[in-house]
Amino acid sequence: MFLHIFTNRCKCLVRDKVLMFWTLMFPIVLASLFGLAFSNLSSEDKFSEINIAVVDNNEYQSNQAFQSALSAVTDAGQSSGEKGLFNVILSTHEQADELLKNNKIEGYILFDGGANLVIKESGINQTIIKTFLDDYAQIGSAITNIVRQNPTAFPSLMEDVMADKNYLKEVSPSNAEPNTTLNYYYALVAMACLFGSFWGVKEISAVQADLSPQGARVNLAPAHKLKIFGYSLCAAAVVHLFTIFILIAYLSLFLKVDFGRDLLYVLLACVVGSMMGVSMGALIGALIKKDEIVKIAVLVSVSMILSFLAGLMMVDMKYIVTHAIPVMAYINPANLITDAFYSLYYFDTYNRFFTNIGLLLGFTVVFYLIVYFVLRRQRYASL
Amino acid sequence: MVVKVNNLVKRYGDLIALDHFNLQVNEGEIFGLLGPNGSGKTTAINCILALLKYDKGTIEVFGQAMAPDAYNIKREIGIIMQNVAVFNELTVQENINYFCGLYISDKKKRASLVEEAIEFVGLNDFRKFYPRKLSGGLLRRLNIACGIAHQPKLIIMDEPTVAVDPQSRNSILEGIQKLNRQGATVIYTSHYMEEVEQICTRIAIMDRGKIIATGTNDELKSMIKAGEKITAEIFGLDSLQIQNIKNLPHISSVEYDENMLVVKSERGKNNLAIVLDYFRVHNIPYGKIYCELPTLNDVFLEITGKQLRD
Ligand SMILES: Nc1ncnc2c1ncn2[C@@H]1O[C@H](COP(=O)(O)OP(=O)(O)O)[C@@H](O)[C@H]1O
Ligand SMILES: [Mg+2]
Repeated sequence: MFLHIFTNRCKCLVRDKVLMFWTLMFPIVLASLFGLAFSNLSSEDKFSEINIAVVDNNEYQSNQAFQSALSAVTDAGQSSGEKGLFNVILSTHEQADELLKNNKIEGYILFDGGANLVIKESGINQTIIKTFLDDYAQIGSAITNIVRQNPTAFPSLMEDVMADKNYLKEVSPSNAEPNTTLNYYYALVAMACLFGSFWGVKEISAVQADLSPQGARVNLAPAHKLKIFGYSLCAAAVVHLFTIFILIAYLSLFLKVDFGRDLLYVLLACVVGSMMGVSMGALIGALIKKDEIVKIAVLVSVSMILSFLAGLMMVDMKYIVTHAIPVMAYINPANLITDAFYSLYYFDTYNRFFTNIGLLLGFTVVFYLIVYFVLRRQRYASL
Repeated sequence: MVVKVNNLVKRYGDLIALDHFNLQVNEGEIFGLLGPNGSGKTTAINCILALLKYDKGTIEVFGQAMAPDAYNIKREIGIIMQNVAVFNELTVQENINYFCGLYISDKKKRASLVEEAIEFVGLNDFRKFYPRKLSGGLLRRLNIACGIAHQPKLIIMDEPTVAVDPQSRNSILEGIQKLNRQGATVIYTSHYMEEVEQICTRIAIMDRGKIIATGTNDELKSMIKAGEKITAEIFGLDSLQIQNIKNLPHISSVEYDENMLVVKSERGKNNLAIVLDYFRVHNIPYGKIYCELPTLNDVFLEITGKQLRD
């Protein structure tokens, strides 16, 4: 029974040209376009420090805490050879204005009863400076309390705390180069994973009598619907995983996208991401009583939006979203998948990777539980 | 008793789709469920198959209570649904094999059953075709093959000939009779009375969720007052003669319009002979003449006051 259903469902899935296009061809085409676009970027632009100015006035001079914090993220604060986040120029207010006007700096910090950021236009670099200031303000107030009790610990403490924060240009120990273009590809893989939802929708339709006549026929067979669905789901998972592997192979072999060193973990991320995608489709398929084609149209857009928020079209998006709505980082499956790949590439430890994988698995389990309760009902109220 | 349904009630909100519906189907019958569109045939079938929830009543199949997990019953049922239920990504042969495989796990046995089914519906030349490439009639035949390949004891067909060309329709009807001869009990729903008259050994007429009459074709027709309808082409009949014809025994109405005489009789013997006798005795020459026995439509009309087909 298992093999019979599994092989036949595989045939049904693989021969579905529309869904095959979306899950296999579309991500590959998109990846190729990315490849073309990035090949024109010079690699030097990617990691340059952000030029900023600080107005050198009395308030700045008396703010030891801020000076330490700032030096933690400039060249001077780095161990040998590494680059800092900011390249800081101390200047007068007028000079800073001039520099900003001539685009020599991205913005300047002016102490005038607290730290103020002056910028000309907003962009990712400005966001980073702002983030730095916000973090400083937040941590600063906590530290002030500590320092009151132990003034001598003050400068080194500040330096430690600020250096540990992860800004866009990561300063934590790692052998990998920070690389923002990778995030585009990782978000693309996330999108392809979410496209697995189409297969989930398809399999639900194929076993639900109120969604398709084929489903009615399956319900009349002398076997439990959940069993047949389970077997079909295996087919969906395998077919989808297969498309993801092809995509990964294409990315790493042809576009030379770096997935880090641990192939096994990369595959694990693929498996979990793909399972998550299929389960999302099964959930939508089971809960919404609409045409398959409508659901797929909805899922195409939802997957694209979630991937966009995870940095598919502009890498800054991921950080903007993470900062504006921190919880999104944990509930956007596309972000979890993207982040899983990025942490594999970037970090030497697996904590962050497994947090992502764990959350993805959690979603998958919850989705399937809901699907189970919908499918468990054996008689329909209406057909 | 193959199927026994007692006082089945099914509501869709305020609409009562089945209103104390009763049904008994015996082994070996081709049982026809005849009713206009919307009368509740499909709803009844779906309840019998334990697909639909219902509000009241009991359903037994092969003497056992029918339930979604009554797999030993389901194994012996073959269904041909109103909507074609095949997978577009599988070929004719693969489709039949797939659905047959939900019932029969032995591969060898299944292969031969699939062959038989393909042969039976005459899709031999199309076995590698995908459903999209089949005409409406052939698609219906595939739909039937998918339902019967496992050679069930009870075959339920819900309007299997809708939107089918006459040739395919005949082959489907003949096929049903053949299945029946091979031992299957058949439940056949339709809103075409001709089909039901042609192949069913017993018929239930349905209207608004109720069975309004049950019996063989002849039994049903003998339930009503109407007898045969005689139509004759006669030139220049005068009103006196028309009145005389009306006064003949068992004649219920006479119409004469544009040289066509339509005589409706009540049930009785030799109605045609009596009318013909009258023509001969009074030297009335006639051209075409034909005599129609009452149809199931007449039965429906007389019981419900409406036409079977609007
Ligand atoms: N899912 C449904 N929801 C509401 N009403 C329905 C539904 N299915 C059928 N009906 C109504 O139930 C009645 C019987 O329908 P159906 O069993 O399909 O008739 P038939 O098969 O004889 O044409 C009709 O009036 C139809 O409108
Ligand atoms: Mg119907």
